Amino acid sequence: MLVELERVSFNFGNNWALKDVSLRLDKGEFLFLTGPSGAGKTTLMRLLYAALPVTRGVRAEVCGFDLKNLKGAQVPKLRREIGVVFQDFKILPRKTVMANVAMALEVRGTPRELVERRVRAVLRVLKLEDKAYEACERLSGGEQQRVAIARSVVVNPKLILADEPTGNLDLGLSRRLIEVFRQFHAYGTSIVMATHSSEILRMAPEAKVLHLQDGMVCGDMCSVESQPGPLVQPMTQAERAAMEEDAEGGS
Amino acid sequence: MNVVRLAGRGVRDLADHPLAQVFTLAAVTLAAFLAGLFLLLLYNIDRVMLEQRGEVTFQIYWKPGAEQKEIDKAWEALRADPALKTIATFTPEQAYEELVRSFGREVGRDALGARNPLPATAQATFAVPTDDAEWARGLHQRLKGLANVQDVHFNPLQMDLAKSWVNISRGLVWPLIGLLALVAGLIVGNTIKLAQISRLDEVEILRLVGATRFYIQLPMLSGGAFLCLVSGVLALLLLKVFQLLVHNVLNIPPLFLTIEFLPLSQALTLFGGLVLVGLTSSWVAVKE
Repeated sequence: MLVELERVSFNFGNNWALKDVSLRLDKGEFLFLTGPSGAGKTTLMRLLYAALPVTRGVRAEVCGFDLKNLKGAQVPKLRREIGVVFQDFKILPRKTVMANVAMALEVRGTPRELVERRVRAVLRVLKLEDKAYEACERLSGGEQQRVAIARSVVVNPKLILADEPTGNLDLGLSRRLIEVFRQFHAYGTSIVMATHSSEILRMAPEAKVLHLQDGMVCGDMCSVESQPGPLVQPMTQAERAAMEEDAEGGS
Repeated sequence: MNVVRLAGRGVRDLADHPLAQVFTLAAVTLAAFLAGLFLLLLYNIDRVMLEQRGEVTFQIYWKPGAEQKEIDKAWEALRADPALKTIATFTPEQAYEELVRSFGREVGRDALGARNPLPATAQATFAVPTDDAEWARGLHQRLKGLANVQDVHFNPLQMDLAKSWVNISRGLVWPLIGLLALVAGLIVGNTIKLAQISRLDEVEILRLVGATRFYIQLPMLSGGAFLCLVSGVLALLLLKVFQLLVHNVLNIPPLFLTIEFLPLSQALTLFGGLVLVGLTSSWVAVKE
């Protein structure tokens, strides 16, 4: 079991951001965390990569690390098992694509020759090879997000946590990005992705869905196709038009 | 090897904000230069004090009417003393002639008359062992104990002045140097803190990808230490230039004082102290 949470809670002062959340994720699974803003998706994500402590819980394990008793020195070790992707990319705009992606390998002490080889391989998969030495600030939003994904996958993580990775992208780019995630999922990487868009869910039909509302899990984990009712925000008319346009352009 | 690479990255990272580093470098260099100036002042005053304290002059008066042969023997014994640097001896007649000459020959004879009231005297200057502050009082007692000696004078202030200076330097100058070191430390620490704030994004990303605290902090520490290292070199160069400029400023009558550069040990202390201050303040700045 890669992720195992049992009745985990987290509070900010008197406000319980997560209440008795239980979650089990096996190796190679793809899970969408859905729910409206403020449902606790990001808090749960942050908890998973130990940016927030577990306030209460029966069990909280990620990649073999016990989050309830995690020492400060163990946090970097846990994060080396996980790749994290954010809505706002979190890349260094003035540094090159190569430098941004290489950073994840350098902190592990990977030899320089190997760093360059692996970064190039990942950039090739993400179609960024020709941008390797360009400053990230000169790239488009979609390219910047692909740099962030490259940084998270270059270390071959057991688990990728993606918090609204398509939130700043249009539907066309979102589709391509989800394809990238699916590609890595096909290689065996587990993925947990937070989203509030039902269209994003449909782009990865093999994934499972866990819906959060007011910090609590609503219902059981289910597959995208079998999810009951509109648990997530429906697509706006403009989003739909853009998607159709993109689909036409793509074909 | 990784440590060397990380330390090198800290130095390279300084180039990301060159103007800020130049200002910091200037501020730390000037603070170090000021500390160096105080040290230079302290060293040169100490040196002059030691030179003056190194010689104590005794005026020895024999009893009037004492046998000159006995006095000559005492003078010979004094000349054989290894600590003696110079001695000027005066028989009563020679002392009288000196006195008359100093008044002017005619005026002097009229004032003093024909009778010579002066005793035989000797003005003996001794080198004082630097580690024995009570030596002068001991010698004073020994000279007083010589045969037929009526009185011995010396200026105890010569000894006390040196002691007073040590107290002043300990009580005032060293705290001032400490204060300047603190100023340099605050400047470096603040710069590192600012650099850290401007790199919060980078630090956050580094943490996300699993960088250890050591990996994040070492480059900042090495950057601070390097900044102080360069500042130390610049401050010592400035101090040397300053010393060369003022070397002979006080080398005029009646002072005849030259300003010398700090001895190697003190220059290295200043330099090492500054690097230590840089490391400490950087460490304080990067510490969570």
